[in-house]
Amino acid sequence: MGLLKFCEWLSHTSWSVSLRDGTYDYPVLLIIHVLSIALFGGMVAIGNLRVLGAAMRSVPVSQVIQQFRPWKWIGFGSLLVTGVLLSMSDPVEYGGNVMYWISLLLLLAAGVNAFVFRFGIYRSVASWDDAPLTPPSARRWAGLSLALWIALVFAGRAIAFF
Amino acid sequence: MWASIFVLHLLQGIPEALPLNPIARWEWVFPVVEAVHICGFSLLVGTILILDLRLLGWCLLRQPISVIAKGLAPWIWVGIAVQLTTGPYLFSSDPHEYVQVPAFRNKMLFLVLALIFHFTVIRKATEPSRDAASPIWRKPAACASLGLWLCVLLAGLWIGNL
Repeated sequence: MGLLKFCEWLSHTSWSVSLRDGTYDYPVLLIIHVLSIALFGGMVAIGNLRVLGAAMRSVPVSQVIQQFRPWKWIGFGSLLVTGVLLSMSDPVEYGGNVMYWISLLLLLAAGVNAFVFRFGIYRSVASWDDAPLTPPSARRWAGLSLALWIALVFAGRAIAFF
Repeated sequence: MWASIFVLHLLQGIPEALPLNPIARWEWVFPVVEAVHICGFSLLVGTILILDLRLLGWCLLRQPISVIAKGLAPWIWVGIAVQLTTGPYLFSSDPHEYVQVPAFRNKMLFLVLALIFHFTVIRKATEPSRDAASPIWRKPAACASLGLWLCVLLAGLWIGNL
């Protein structure tokens, strides 16, 4: 089944119809989506800025990252679920929108970046937890993470223009 | 009532966007500035959310509240600076229209209340002298802060809905 066919099938499901025609479905999902951006985005920003040595330097890196982790997962889960549902409101439009796919690629890249940081340089965090300067490679990953999430906001906003 | 009519009268004296203003001239400037506004929102409200979660005792518990508040404060200021630059610039795209949208006026009201609350009550709740003896109003204050910023967000989303 081709992508367009799949999107057309999706757009006729009862969920998609209700998201498109319902009065409250879309705005309620949008509000939860934006709240999740604040929760998840704020923690991504402060977490990365801590690794860069630009925020909360009196708190060890590992503590910031560990303490944020459960909240980040809640925020990310909620972002993902509401994001998928919002996309389902008009699958044919989004499926054919190049910016939509660029956004998803940026999301994937940010995920890979987080994974590489977590299972790479972060494993040695004990040796630089309180260091005045974090290792250059940790700072590179944190900087790249910030850049990718910011790019995702721009690409997400651009969806409406393509 | 007379006061609000007077203020409305003043606001309606604001002229149309200047023809040379880039945001009124080119279609792409608005969404680009808006994307920066969304990033600033995520930073500002996300950072305040982290502080409120700490006040509620749900995150970053190993450090005293005042240490967390001091570490986050510069980024709250960065967030405020970004929002108070991009916000008024978005407003300048069509001032005459915005002042007549009730959601916009509500957003400004809640924004002023949220900022005043942050720099009075929340600042008091995060003073070093209060780290040991936790005041009874600390958690209600965190909830009120969350509520006020939620109102700013809801009213902001509503502007685009109308």
